[in-house]
Amino acid sequence: MRSSGAQKPHSLALRVVLSTIFLSLVVISVTGSTLYSRLSAGIKQVKVDTSIIEARSTIFSAQYRLAIASGNPNDSVRDIFNSVITSATTIGTNESGREVVILRVPGSAIGKENYEVSTNLVSSDSIPQYLRKRVQNSESLESTNLQINYAGATSVAGFAVGQRISIPKGGEYEMYVLFSLADQAATLRLISSSLYLTGLALIILIALIIWIVIHQVVKPVRDAVKISQQFTEGDFSQRMQVKSNDEIASLGNAFNAMAESLEKQIARLENLSRVQQRFVSDVSHELRTPLTTLRMSSEVIHNAREGFEPVIARSSELLIGQIDRFERLLEDLLEISRFDAEVAVLEAVEFDICGSLERCIADLSQVATENGVEINLNRPRDSVFINGDIRRVERIMRNLLSNAIDHAEGKPVEVRVMASPEDVAVGVRDYGVGIEPKLLNRVFDRFWRADPSRARTRGGTGLGLSIALEDARLHNGELEAWGELGKGTHFVLYLPRRAGDQLQSRLISLKG
Amino acid sequence: MTLVMVVDDDQDLAEMLGIVLTGAGIDVDLVSRGDEVIDVFRNNPPDLVLLDVMLPGLDGIEVCKLIRAESMVPIVMLSAKGDTHDVVRGLEAGADDYMVKPFRHPSELIARIRTRLRRTNTDISGLLTIADLVIDVVAHQVSRAGKQIALTRLEFDLLVALAREPGRVFSRDALLSEVWGYRHSTDTRLVNVHVQRLRAKVEHDPEHPEIVVTVRGVGYKAGGQ
Repeated sequence: MRSSGAQKPHSLALRVVLSTIFLSLVVISVTGSTLYSRLSAGIKQVKVDTSIIEARSTIFSAQYRLAIASGNPNDSVRDIFNSVITSATTIGTNESGREVVILRVPGSAIGKENYEVSTNLVSSDSIPQYLRKRVQNSESLESTNLQINYAGATSVAGFAVGQRISIPKGGEYEMYVLFSLADQAATLRLISSSLYLTGLALIILIALIIWIVIHQVVKPVRDAVKISQQFTEGDFSQRMQVKSNDEIASLGNAFNAMAESLEKQIARLENLSRVQQRFVSDVSHELRTPLTTLRMSSEVIHNAREGFEPVIARSSELLIGQIDRFERLLEDLLEISRFDAEVAVLEAVEFDICGSLERCIADLSQVATENGVEINLNRPRDSVFINGDIRRVERIMRNLLSNAIDHAEGKPVEVRVMASPEDVAVGVRDYGVGIEPKLLNRVFDRFWRADPSRARTRGGTGLGLSIALEDARLHNGELEAWGELGKGTHFVLYLPRRAGDQLQSRLISLKG
Repeated sequence: MTLVMVVDDDQDLAEMLGIVLTGAGIDVDLVSRGDEVIDVFRNNPPDLVLLDVMLPGLDGIEVCKLIRAESMVPIVMLSAKGDTHDVVRGLEAGADDYMVKPFRHPSELIARIRTRLRRTNTDISGLLTIADLVIDVVAHQVSRAGKQIALTRLEFDLLVALAREPGRVFSRDALLSEVWGYRHSTDTRLVNVHVQRLRAKVEHDPEHPEIVVTVRGVGYKAGGQ
């Protein structure tokens, strides 16, 4: 109970924080990736647009200059071609270089000169076949994204724009202008890493904020739990601290009001029961002095009965008997009031429970004989020393014995003692009237009688078994009953060998 | 004729006690206030005091201490409270015995008073010894190395009971019957308290008794053999 109670607020905070992290992770990744794709598309589009414009002018100017040189001799065409290549790679280059690749259109008329060339060792296989096909079959500019491979095996992301050109006396060629996208990639990497970092920071911050908020809300709840636990343990003085003026404060106020009312109620009840118990105890004590006088005068009268009329002599006997009964009732009431007030004290000594039991049986042997009941004792051969309150243990056994004698209907009463190193058990079994099993749990009730119409033979107080049960529990032992109508009853007293220890076993089985 | 002082504020009970005791051949001196006891006691020393705990004027426990301060006379406390706390308080104040009202058998009161009044074991002559203690039964004296130790009559009786049969282990019940005159009782508190008091007077080290030795689970025996 307690551990789960203490666990709950903890898991609540954790749960809220975890789900917040999860949700913000989803939101941040969706917005982040959208932002990233928009940014990268935009950046790339700008580059593509400028690249196409640049490429167009470069290719156009090359074509133009070559067309002008168509009348010139071969050497001069080569010179012009070289200068075209040089200017194509220098014009407009600033941060990222341009590369130019010239490839011959396959199948076109082969001139004396081969003008295939590529700048900066760009390998010609960088130009994908599908781009070449499109360029070969088209009169206009064609473009695509690609990887620019250098002979040194390095490669960068790039963009290629190509068109067919014709070189005088050289035939048809494809001219490609390649633009590096390395800068854009670097920019995008920067953007994406920034996005990741801000996302992460955001999540941590959100988790932190949620944690703090939860704590502000959960702390009073935890306080309330802690205080409730102290209430359970009987400390009613604890109150919640109310500092603010919000919902939490009203929880605190409501809690404190409840605590106050509980404390008052309990104090009132405690006081009531204290007064009640005090009253019972006082009454019992006050009754003792007149009872002593009564008892002594009745004894004086009783001792002189031989000179009395038979009626008066009998009356004196009845008087003595009833004073006895009254006294027993008073003693039992006082004992019960001690148990109720929880002031019953266990006075443990070391004693032989078998010897005690034999003494109890001897004390009751006269009553047993009068009732025609035989008591059979089955005990271990050796003494069984236990640590307990001898007065209480003997009282329990006397109560069980006289109860059994009362209800045995002349049949024998079996008494059994069993002992282990930890425990001892005393069973008292009669084969008399018995009791309905459903009434068994009532036999320990105060003043309860199985059959109210049945005459009381021994004038018991009706408190004997209640006291016996309390006596047994004071030792941390147990007193249990079994019974069936017509089959008799079985009462078993289980005691630890040392008063207050835990019972380890039930040495005598209750049933049967 | 023996004289018993009955101290009780309940007039009817006091009168009844008087009737019963007189019937048993004992003279009775009735006192109803605690603060009058010590004067009456000095003027007319009784052989035994029957003392109620709850008294007007001066509490029975205090009265008991006052009497004990100047006399070893047997004191039997009468109490309407049977709680251990009260009983032990009475015994520690110096009472030899106590009876809880209402007495189970008024005749038992007489028996106990007689036991307390009995002249101890005058049939035994000579000296008894336990360890280094010498008990002169006839002179009613206990001494160690010639130095006398003052004991109440009950403590003396307890010591003599143990010393007379050096090998025997006495159960508490046996002691109750021999020393206190109880016929059937299991009130071991009485024995325990008096053994403690006796040890405090006669032992070298009451924590490690050598004269009144505890036999675990059974009772006590005389030590030093």
